[in-house]
Amino acid sequence: MTETLHATRLVVNGVAHTLHVPARRLLADALRHDLGLTGTHLGCEHGVCGACTVLVDGEPMRSCLMFAVSADGAEITTTEGCRAPDGGLGPVQQAFTECHGLQCGFCTPGFVTTITAYLRENPLPTEAEAREAIGGNLCRCTGYQNIVKSVLRAAELVAPEAAVAPQAGGGLSEGPR
Amino acid sequence: MKVSGNATLNAPPTRVWAALNDPAVLVRTIPGCERLEEVEPSAYRMTVTAGVASIKGSYAGDVRLTDQEEPHAFVLKASGAGGPGTVSADVKVRLADGGDGTTVLSYDADAIVGGMIGGVGQRILTGVAKKTAAEFFQAVDDVLTGAAVAAAPPPAALAPAGERGVYTAPPVGRPAVIGGDFIKGAVFGAAVALLGALVGGWAARRR
Amino acid sequence: MSGRLFGEPIARREDPRLVSGAGRYLDDLGPDALAAAFVRCPHAHARVVDIDVTDALDVDGLVALYTYEDLAADDATRVAEPLPLLIPHPALTEPRTGYPLVKDVAKHVGEPIVMVVATDRYVAEDVCERIRVEYEFLPPVVGVDAARDAARAVHDDVPDNVAAHLVQEVGDARAAIAAAPHTLELDLEIERSASMPMEGKGVYARWDAADASLRVYSSTQTTTSVRFALAAKLNIPVDRIEVIAPDVGGGFGVKIVHPWPEEVLVPWAAIRLGREVKWVEDRREHFISSAHERGQLQHIRVGFDDDGRLLGLDVEFWHDNGAYTPYGIIIPIITSTQLLGPYKPGAYRVEFHSLYTNTVIVTPYRGAGRPQAAFAMERTIDAIAANLRLDRAEVRERNFIQPHEMPYDHQLTFQDGRPLIYDSGDFPASLEKLKKLVDWEGFPAYRDAARAEGRRIGIGLACYVEGTGVGPYEGAHIRVETSGKVVVSTGLTTQGQGHETVFAQIAADELGVPLDAVSVTTGDTRRFKYAVGTFASRAAVMSGNAVALTARKVRAKALRIAADALEVDAGDLEIADGTVRVKGHPPGAAGGEIPLRTVAVLSNPLRYAFDEESKRATQFAVGDASGPPVAEDDEPGLEATDYYSPMQATFANGMHAAIVETDPETAEITILRYCVVHDCGPMINPRIVEGQIHGGVAQGVGGALYERIVYDENGQLLNASYMDFLMPYASEVPTIETDHLETPSPLNPLGIKGLGEAGVIPGSAVLASAIEDAEGIRITRMPISPSDLHHLRLDRARQEHDSTAERGAAE
Repeated sequence: MTETLHATRLVVNGVAHTLHVPARRLLADALRHDLGLTGTHLGCEHGVCGACTVLVDGEPMRSCLMFAVSADGAEITTTEGCRAPDGGLGPVQQAFTECHGLQCGFCTPGFVTTITAYLRENPLPTEAEAREAIGGNLCRCTGYQNIVKSVLRAAELVAPEAAVAPQAGGGLSEGPR
Repeated sequence: MKVSGNATLNAPPTRVWAALNDPAVLVRTIPGCERLEEVEPSAYRMTVTAGVASIKGSYAGDVRLTDQEEPHAFVLKASGAGGPGTVSADVKVRLADGGDGTTVLSYDADAIVGGMIGGVGQRILTGVAKKTAAEFFQAVDDVLTGAAVAAAPPPAALAPAGERGVYTAPPVGRPAVIGGDFIKGAVFGAAVALLGALVGGWAARRR
Repeated sequence: MSGRLFGEPIARREDPRLVSGAGRYLDDLGPDALAAAFVRCPHAHARVVDIDVTDALDVDGLVALYTYEDLAADDATRVAEPLPLLIPHPALTEPRTGYPLVKDVAKHVGEPIVMVVATDRYVAEDVCERIRVEYEFLPPVVGVDAARDAARAVHDDVPDNVAAHLVQEVGDARAAIAAAPHTLELDLEIERSASMPMEGKGVYARWDAADASLRVYSSTQTTTSVRFALAAKLNIPVDRIEVIAPDVGGGFGVKIVHPWPEEVLVPWAAIRLGREVKWVEDRREHFISSAHERGQLQHIRVGFDDDGRLLGLDVEFWHDNGAYTPYGIIIPIITSTQLLGPYKPGAYRVEFHSLYTNTVIVTPYRGAGRPQAAFAMERTIDAIAANLRLDRAEVRERNFIQPHEMPYDHQLTFQDGRPLIYDSGDFPASLEKLKKLVDWEGFPAYRDAARAEGRRIGIGLACYVEGTGVGPYEGAHIRVETSGKVVVSTGLTTQGQGHETVFAQIAADELGVPLDAVSVTTGDTRRFKYAVGTFASRAAVMSGNAVALTARKVRAKALRIAADALEVDAGDLEIADGTVRVKGHPPGAAGGEIPLRTVAVLSNPLRYAFDEESKRATQFAVGDASGPPVAEDDEPGLEATDYYSPMQATFANGMHAAIVETDPETAEITILRYCVVHDCGPMINPRIVEGQIHGGVAQGVGGALYERIVYDENGQLLNASYMDFLMPYASEVPTIETDHLETPSPLNPLGIKGLGEAGVIPGSAVLASAIEDAEGIRITRMPISPSDLHHLRLDRARQEHDSTAERGAAE
């Protein structure tokens, strides 16, 4: 009983690939193992943690909940694709290193892609908006505080001429109501 | 490792006995068997093919039938070696009258499996051994009941004068082995344990 | 020395590769390896009657399939024996461990019964699905109550389900309580939770038959211990095994347990098959076959005087240790000893029963028994304050061990087998800082204003003391290469704590080299072979000090060699920016300096040069014929190894305060503010310290409000997924305000204390305190959800209606 393979065309980080994969091959596994792009991680395989988030035609999607074949013809961006054109750190990645936004780094790829897409929609988030933007990704290490800071810093790096200095947190803030 | 089992064949013990001792029958009923060469009475050198499609290999082994108590019992001693491992097996076969012209065949195999093939786990080895045995006995049964194609041409037609009998399987497409690609190799380990074919077909090397 | 690195919030050097997708976690390795998967028992207590693999044999891509009988048939190894008991203890009278594959009876949902190896994981799972196991059901024991009642046993030969029973006492607590002017009794409960690192466990093994050597990658917190365990189980000489921890996506304690069944079986299969084998668990597997923690029932009796001072404390608790006890009784011992916190208890008695249940094993999760301890003590202190109508901070202050009383000997034995003696700490000063940070004094006015708006808010407070930096030891090796690079290795492991940065800071400081010249390797037995592991907030204290001591050795040798070369006294030399220089000498001036890399060249007398620089060390260029090229007490190379082994733990402390708001209608609980004051002595990298605290607080919030592992009476884990086991997202974790105090440790050369677990320890205690303050309802059980709070409100309303006032209900 060998599985039927389906020709699947994916443009990943700007490079076109044609994969021949079984119908049930997850997009995450295709990226990680068929294309060797191991930056995308699997934390739960049931769509809750967000570590597997990649951009599919610009939209953040859980690659553990998609079959590779269903992404046929799509343009996919992984965390590796969020680097700078010269191969150095892209602005979101740079912000994370400046703000200590990662510890073990396992959840980070999902945050990087999610934030990259978010800042395209909303280039100047407030702190509350930044917190909400990352509200669908789990992190077990950082307690999110520095990830929120990373979002705000990334906004500055992505569009420096537009960004203003973020409000400092703390004080008798009321929290979300 | 020990493997035991039984099968019911639709012929009386004397005919079953004759079939199991007939190299022309064996060559067409042992799964994957291509060639059986009588080295001396009741001793054969066998060539067996493992695999399917692009993964095929030929393996050789020695089989000897001893302690023959026609038509009730015999012992089959087998040994074989190949890249992935070695097997030697003693198989006690007993034929009992099942009434109504049938035979209840029971076998008890005691095998020592060494090398890589010994690494796949007992469940695979015993499981595949039983499956292969069942296939073999079904094929023998088909010959006995006439469901299979008539017997191969007599030995004389194959062997040049003066040579011992060499029997080859009819060139009909038969599935050489059961099981998945990789297990096709492991099957032979089990087949050997049971029938004295050579261990081989370690298709494990497939990439 | 140019600008000290110790104490600087330097950006992490591991970040660029991790953040850009270039990390190498376990599943990123071994792309050609065969994949393993397991058939795991779906029942909590069952005998395996038959395993039918007939249908599984047809699956294309099946390579191997193992059950316990395959382990038993392997005379060459010891894999058929039970997994090791890691930490024996005299009180652990009935220890039990499992087998790598179930032998006869499975004792919790998730125990592995069949191991499948196939060409990839999809195929392996296909095979697993087709394997039919026949079970004889046995009655399961679930929950502390059922274990205590012992109508049924988890292990036939442990009829009362008691694995261990231990009493520790100092003074006569019961007499003190009997004689006390006031007494209180509390019954508390903490539910099970779990570490839940974002990356589960994984093992990847390669056997080199030509070399008879084994290399194992494991997402573990202790490579050296896994190595010893595998050598023992597989019957391979230790020096033929290397264990490497790649980048690890979090541990939080669960990865300190070893060897997991899979850590034994994957290498074993790799050897048998002569192929690389890899296993990576999925999230459900992690829920049902890793480890949990926190579950305890506690009964406390306390006697106190009119001022709220503790006179006697009598604690009895029941610890659910799951089906097996591989990690011994470390958690309840930690609870027993750390319960005392920063207080003088008067007389103290603590008794625990560690009980078997047909559930997943219980081993340390960040805090490792301390959160339960803090909950017990802090709820007690709050109850005392409520009873006497005293300020909760005031009662704590009155019971603090004072700075001048340090070192303070509690006369108990800690989890490292050493005396529980606090070395340093200034609890009054910590509390002062916290009160200021949260504006404790100003809160009543704030609450009144909120009340006037119809809002319900409360403030809570909790203190803890954390024994950190336990032994037996850690070591480091440092080598200065002829290129000028400084290579640092230590044996313990990393799961995101920034070790590549902080240990480099220490080494760079001690040696006087730029930070960029230093590289750090952790968790690789090829590089360092003697180590214990990363747990118990010990890495900075243990490896940090080892790195410092080793660097000092290297520095001393460098100065000696340089002094020889420059023909000056070693005492006149200093090292800065990687150059050894005569003190006061202008940089660059001839004859007064020598680069460290050249010293490295000179440290190894050569016959054969290998580059331009190395010619300087060849036999016709250098050497004093009056002595041998390498002196009797010396070794070639500018390198050294040293170890740090502590007399006892060093005690950090912290205090948290939280302001919560509860919704009068929906009972929703919102944390408005969360304040932390911590004291871990001098901080190597304040940014990394903060990050550790933030992460711990998030787990504390999770444990207080969201996280509970739920088993039903059949031993089925009801919430084995992230959909049902709730971990906090960003919206659940408040902004965390921190301040710190530094009371150095007198016990180690760097004067530091650990803090890895600090953030989580008082989470449940402080939030219970705050919710109780907001609601006026005694909170005795965590976690607490809005519907739990709702029911407590209903209970209280009923009680009030009944007009039988319960003693102890704060109003």
